[in-house]
Amino acid sequence: MTSGLEPAATRVLVSNWRGRYTVPAGGLYPHQWSWDSAFIAIGLRHLSPRRAQQELDSLFSAQWADGRLPHIVFSPTRNDYSPGASFWRSGDVAGAPPVATSGLIQPANHAWAALLVHQADEQESRRRRFLDRAYPSLVRWHDYLSTRRSSPDRLAVVLHPWESGTDNSPLWDDPLSRVRATVTEIPRPDLEHAPSSERPSNAEYGKYLTIAAAYRDTGYDDADAGLLFRVEDPLSTALWARSEFALAEIAEQVGAPGEHHRDRARALTMALDELWDGELGCYLARDLRTGERQRHRTVNGLAPLLLPDLPHADELLATLRSGSFALGRAVMVPSADLTAPTFDRSRYWRGPSWFNIAWLLAMALLERGERAAARELERQMGRLAVASGFAEYVDPWTGEPRGTLSFSWTAALALDLERRFRDQ
Amino acid sequence: MTNPICVQEQQLRGTDLLEKWDVAQEWGFDGIELRGRGEGAFATRMPDLLRAAAAGVVMPTICVEMSHFLGAFDLDLRRDAIRQMSDQLRGIGELGGRGAMTPASWGMFSRRLPPFEPPRSPEEDREVLLEGLAELGEVAAAAGVMLFLEPLNRYEDHMVNTLADAASLIQELGMPSVRIGADTYHMNIEEADPARSLLEAGEYIGHVQASDSNRLEPGAGHVDWALVGSTLRAIGYDGPVAIESRLSGPAEEALPRVPPFLRRYL
Repeated sequence: MTSGLEPAATRVLVSNWRGRYTVPAGGLYPHQWSWDSAFIAIGLRHLSPRRAQQELDSLFSAQWADGRLPHIVFSPTRNDYSPGASFWRSGDVAGAPPVATSGLIQPANHAWAALLVHQADEQESRRRRFLDRAYPSLVRWHDYLSTRRSSPDRLAVVLHPWESGTDNSPLWDDPLSRVRATVTEIPRPDLEHAPSSERPSNAEYGKYLTIAAAYRDTGYDDADAGLLFRVEDPLSTALWARSEFALAEIAEQVGAPGEHHRDRARALTMALDELWDGELGCYLARDLRTGERQRHRTVNGLAPLLLPDLPHADELLATLRSGSFALGRAVMVPSADLTAPTFDRSRYWRGPSWFNIAWLLAMALLERGERAAARELERQMGRLAVASGFAEYVDPWTGEPRGTLSFSWTAALALDLERRFRDQ
Repeated sequence: MTNPICVQEQQLRGTDLLEKWDVAQEWGFDGIELRGRGEGAFATRMPDLLRAAAAGVVMPTICVEMSHFLGAFDLDLRRDAIRQMSDQLRGIGELGGRGAMTPASWGMFSRRLPPFEPPRSPEEDREVLLEGLAELGEVAAAAGVMLFLEPLNRYEDHMVNTLADAASLIQELGMPSVRIGADTYHMNIEEADPARSLLEAGEYIGHVQASDSNRLEPGAGHVDWALVGSTLRAIGYDGPVAIESRLSGPAEEALPRVPPFLRRYL
């Protein structure tokens, strides 16, 4: 147990609460983010199961008629984030909710979070009809992924690097290199909150906005042939599959059949084989516009460890322990291959270690019986979270804080993991 | 670290405090919160209270029960309130307790009810309160206890409604013997985000009274007790949590439900 973690984490989560949801961090990220909220709810459930439910309820209230859960739900009181509501123009799209949102999505960790929130206080959850409310939203969300965001090989497709949650991962370098930036005016309010060396570059930002504008201009039509970015992502696929297993349990809790969710989860697990690279010992992303696999070892490719009956689990664990990710030697789990030429120890998803990834891999290790390794990640997370002031990410060798501080999921997930070990 | 859960004496049947303490313990409580009547009544109880303390009755706090308080418009009433509170502070010191709780006023004036404008300006209110608190703060310090200033909701008092109101006075006063007595019922009405307010006033919290959103015992309304407990842990509050509530049913049914309910969260 890390001394002082719980009070300090509580301070972060109470301070970042905005009445119906938690902002990822007060300055840099002033709105509600989709996968952040799910990760946050997983920790918040230990402080207030009710707030954890409200966190997810708030996101579900911004669901589009087509089922998508938007990656940002904008607070009407803040307009200092870019690209903001005026860029996404969700109000112009039929079926968008009354509140302004982005039109992108993020990885589907929500059903998993909803189940964990329910389990934190089942009596309170039932009294508030939480799962009865969440289940239909989650079904529509997963149906959206299945009908609109699946590749021909039934893998999860991201239409923008931001949709992966791992914005500037080396996995997107080659697909991005094929995009010509036509948006040249690039507001960067993010740089008021974090040094430019720790954030994506301006060149990357120009392309991000170009891809997003092209998608927006189709009316967020996922099938449009003119989309500039279309990549199969192992992280999005793995989290969706994991959530599909959770959705089966939720279905059974509310008296609905769950088996078709498990079938879908198993199908996603099998489909991941298309992305396996035996030589690199890792799952890869694949650019659907060129058909080319993106041959980089990243944490996106380790995420399938969360799935039961994974054919390449042992090889993947070996990769996690190899020099590429140096489990037990590096700080938590570096976001990208330590030995690759693309490695950058400071810049966002090109090397720094993130607390959500450490939490995901700790969960995977725990479930695979690797308790000592999971415990070591838990200790590191707790210690680093407190020592860094709840940094967004850290240097993978020194643990020095990077990005912004008082980051909500850092607090939430460190707290959750500590509770798991304390309660066992 | 666990907070003692206390019940107020008037809720317990029994002819004396020893009998009441047996009931309190049987119902799962860790201590008794005394009620501090005026007109010298508290001082005359001291021999009985000292005997009870010697017999092991746990009585960490007093909650004032008078018709006028340190913020009274009338100078004589104000002076009397300060005298009575001084007795209570010295008394709880002799009993080995933590302190006594008072609001600035109760039922004297509300800016939300006619005639809406009180006879005293906010600046004069503040001056009167600082003067009274300073005097009581010294008595408390000398007795080795604390005075707890309780913010009340807008319909019951017009001067100190939020934890921040109380914290501002205490900051200006600068006396460690004057702290906030936070009551979850009033907080539910006055604080936009009770958890955040508790966190922000954390260093000044000296006592907590627990009552649900409807003034009934904890568990009978819609206060988020899990969040209250988490936040009290986060600010390091390890003092008593005293139930000051009306009850949803007979005491012997409503009150024994409270300690196990609150223990889930504290």
